[in-house]
Amino acid sequence: MNRRLILGILGRLLLLEAGLMLLSLAVSMYYGEGDAPSFLYSIGILLAVGLPLSALSRPEKNAVRAREGLAAVGLAWILLSAFGALPFMFSGATVYYWDALFETVSGFTTTGASILPAVEHLPHGILFWRSFTHWVGGMGVLVLTLAVMPKFGGKGSQLARAESPGPTFSKMVPRMTDTARLMYAIYAAMTLVLILLLLLSGMPLFDTLIHAMGTAGTGGFSSRNLSVGAYGNAWAEMIIMVFMFLFGANFTLYFRLLKGEGLKSFKSEEFRAYLLLALGSVLVIALNILPRFGNFFTALRYSGFQVSSIMSTTGYATTDFALWPQFSHILLLLLMLVGASAGSTAGGIKVVRMVILGKAAVHEVGHEVSPRRVRMLKLDGKPVGADVLRGVLVFFFIYVSFLFVGTLVASTDGHDFLTCFSATASCLSNIGPGLSLVGPVGNFGIFSPHVKYLLTFMMLAGRLEFIPLLALFHPSVWRNGH
Amino acid sequence: MRVLIIGDGKVGHSLAGQLILEGHEVTIVDRSEAALQRSMDTLDAMAVKGNGVNADTLREAGAPDADIVIAVTVSDEINMLACLTAKRLGAKYAIARIRDPEYHKSLPFLMKELLIDYVINPERILAQEISRILRYPFTGSIETFARGRVELMDFRLGPGDALAGHSLRDLYAHKPSLPRVLFCAVQRGEEALIPKGDLVLQADDHVYVASDVPTITAFFKAIGKNTSGVRSVMLMGAGRIAYYLAEMLLKMHIQVTVVELDEEVAQEFSEALPQARVILGDGTDQELLSGEGLDTYDAFVTLSGLDEENIMAGLYAQRLGVRKVVVKTSRDNYQELLGSLGLDSAVSVKQSTGDTILRAVRTRSAADAAAAVERLYHIIDGEIEALEFIARQEDRVLGAPLMELALRPDALIAVIVRDGQVYIPTGRDTLREGDRVIVMVKGGGVERLDDILGGQA
Repeated sequence: MNRRLILGILGRLLLLEAGLMLLSLAVSMYYGEGDAPSFLYSIGILLAVGLPLSALSRPEKNAVRAREGLAAVGLAWILLSAFGALPFMFSGATVYYWDALFETVSGFTTTGASILPAVEHLPHGILFWRSFTHWVGGMGVLVLTLAVMPKFGGKGSQLARAESPGPTFSKMVPRMTDTARLMYAIYAAMTLVLILLLLLSGMPLFDTLIHAMGTAGTGGFSSRNLSVGAYGNAWAEMIIMVFMFLFGANFTLYFRLLKGEGLKSFKSEEFRAYLLLALGSVLVIALNILPRFGNFFTALRYSGFQVSSIMSTTGYATTDFALWPQFSHILLLLLMLVGASAGSTAGGIKVVRMVILGKAAVHEVGHEVSPRRVRMLKLDGKPVGADVLRGVLVFFFIYVSFLFVGTLVASTDGHDFLTCFSATASCLSNIGPGLSLVGPVGNFGIFSPHVKYLLTFMMLAGRLEFIPLLALFHPSVWRNGH
Repeated sequence: MRVLIIGDGKVGHSLAGQLILEGHEVTIVDRSEAALQRSMDTLDAMAVKGNGVNADTLREAGAPDADIVIAVTVSDEINMLACLTAKRLGAKYAIARIRDPEYHKSLPFLMKELLIDYVINPERILAQEISRILRYPFTGSIETFARGRVELMDFRLGPGDALAGHSLRDLYAHKPSLPRVLFCAVQRGEEALIPKGDLVLQADDHVYVASDVPTITAFFKAIGKNTSGVRSVMLMGAGRIAYYLAEMLLKMHIQVTVVELDEEVAQEFSEALPQARVILGDGTDQELLSGEGLDTYDAFVTLSGLDEENIMAGLYAQRLGVRKVVVKTSRDNYQELLGSLGLDSAVSVKQSTGDTILRAVRTRSAADAAAAVERLYHIIDGEIEALEFIARQEDRVLGAPLMELALRPDALIAVIVRDGQVYIPTGRDTLREGDRVIVMVKGGGVERLDDILGGQA
């Protein structure tokens, strides 16, 4: 591994983070609630560390190979979170560093799980920073770097590949810089539309920004303790419901739409499965909770919002679904594991992986029945390569292992199984709320520090889809030179 | 420009790397996942897996919007079909690698019917290069204009050369018998000059001259550069390069003998080029070579697939006293070594293929900006452009004698081709509509013929 190169990349990222904090600084100065100095200090520290580091090497001159890409992405997310937690500490929003780190990682990984008991009393600047990390983390910090630092671009495919969710990464256009810009352009345009619609629905401007960023990144931080439900605004709920689903779809579809392919853009097996799974779940849960609400349309409204929120791994709530019947619980829990589409801002195992796994299972049965028959595993009419299939199988194994080991460790705090299991699943899939004690009105503050560190690690691992983080533990990544 | 490369082999891969460096958007199509993966790990390009002839694959790779499609798979047939398909889908310009001599004969027909704009034939390029070494051993390069009627060649002035010390203006006054060529460009040290009448030639100048083919040959003879006078050539190996080279040499009435080990190959060669003498036997066998009278030939060219064999046979021929020995090698770094042994060398295929395609792409991207340009070459590291135009009615440079035109100081009208005749223009000549005009410019900025006018243009 080329260490100077990695340090150079990390240095530039810290400078970028300082730049991102400027926006929050502006917000805090506008509201004048005394949290501006905490951003100033943080920016100062970021510059003090970032400037010398970025002077160490010129990444544009070196080739970023697979191992450097993985290590850079893994370390970048750890460092960004470590420094991104500073404003929480300086402003006194959190007393302990592990709480600040949990909150920041939860932001960048677009989880939205919170240890802050009363967000409504926090200064606006801090709230804005919290939600802004969602927006940046959703599409990816390194992808943003590639977009704003074009000299980087040529070598950046490895970085983008390591950061982007899904079993495969494909560029939209030949140049990496252009691809990164295109991704962010689509992302920003959709966010802007969402902001306008929310404003039209009557939501106040600041709350609109917070919820638009939370929805776009499929994060779930709210400026209200009761989340979106606090507004009782049916239009806003509808808008957010639809957009959560949209941000959970593969952005390549929108790119094809932009290219003028019309409805054909959505001809993707993953999108079809995503849509059908969402619609089916909405209907079944609506029927299940019908007795609680008495009116089918009210039931549909709550069920629709909750399914979209959980599947897209956003985590907003309009009602306390922890009070819903067992069947709805378990279905939501399963949807938590599945998550949304590859190439979106969402987390989870991803629908496309489930589709591939399902097909592989059918194939395997077929292979046992007639072993000599030649079959090809196909997705969207194209063969799924052995590499991709192996990657999906291993991913699934790692995901399940992390889930169970995480549950085991979390249980040392003595909470019930559903709490521990759903908290781990929720963090791994970057959703936010779980069930039981960590349900929509609950809070992750109940856990002890070591469990918080564990869950923090789970969020990072889930967002980066394990490999970049696990690669840091692989000795050959650290060997200098080759 | 958006470039689509079909075939991710050695040439395709290195070409992609170079084009990306030059700022083009590159998409690569190949059937091999492994090859694409290797390219994606190192190049900022987009990869599409699939058959380059398949319209769906090409569409996915963006062929409809591609400015240039370059087909360099191992198969001539796939390359041709890929170009046709891509052009039909809307690609603007297609380059195909076609190496089989069989196709080469019907190339104009194929190009027209299959919508191929530019054909690259690496073996033929190498054959041309060897033919140049045999004919004009002292030149570094030859570019052709006006459909091959005009050649632009460069040579280095030696200290004792008759031309050195004369200004261009009175050169012909001193030597009235010297055949008239145009001095187009001079490279002096690092500097590139567009020569005017008062430029005095110096030893070690790199001089570029242009004229029609017979005149230029006569010119070199007159200044004492040996145009070799090679009358007979023996070739070792009867592969594709040998075929193209023999064909060129035979056209120039040079006697050709080919030694080939493989009976089938030898027979095919003899069938295709009956005027050539084909000897069945081992070209590395010294007895055979001397028995065939190698020492009576003016030149010996070794074209086998093995560098070592080529070098050994070449050294042997040199010891027999053959005047001109050319050795084909596949490695660049042999060139100097062979030069010190007194052998000429020609470096083969991969490098020259990439270079030639790159030049075609550069020309295309320059010509894209300037639709009026017929042909464009960069010489002296791209400092000077040689451009070919066809004069049109609306051009303001028409009608007036050239000496009355206010040309840019760094521009020069080099050659005029009118009704198939090549003229070296003097100040009294005027341009007419339909003339092919070859212009030299330093510093670029010429997209139409009128752009060579200074100030008021």
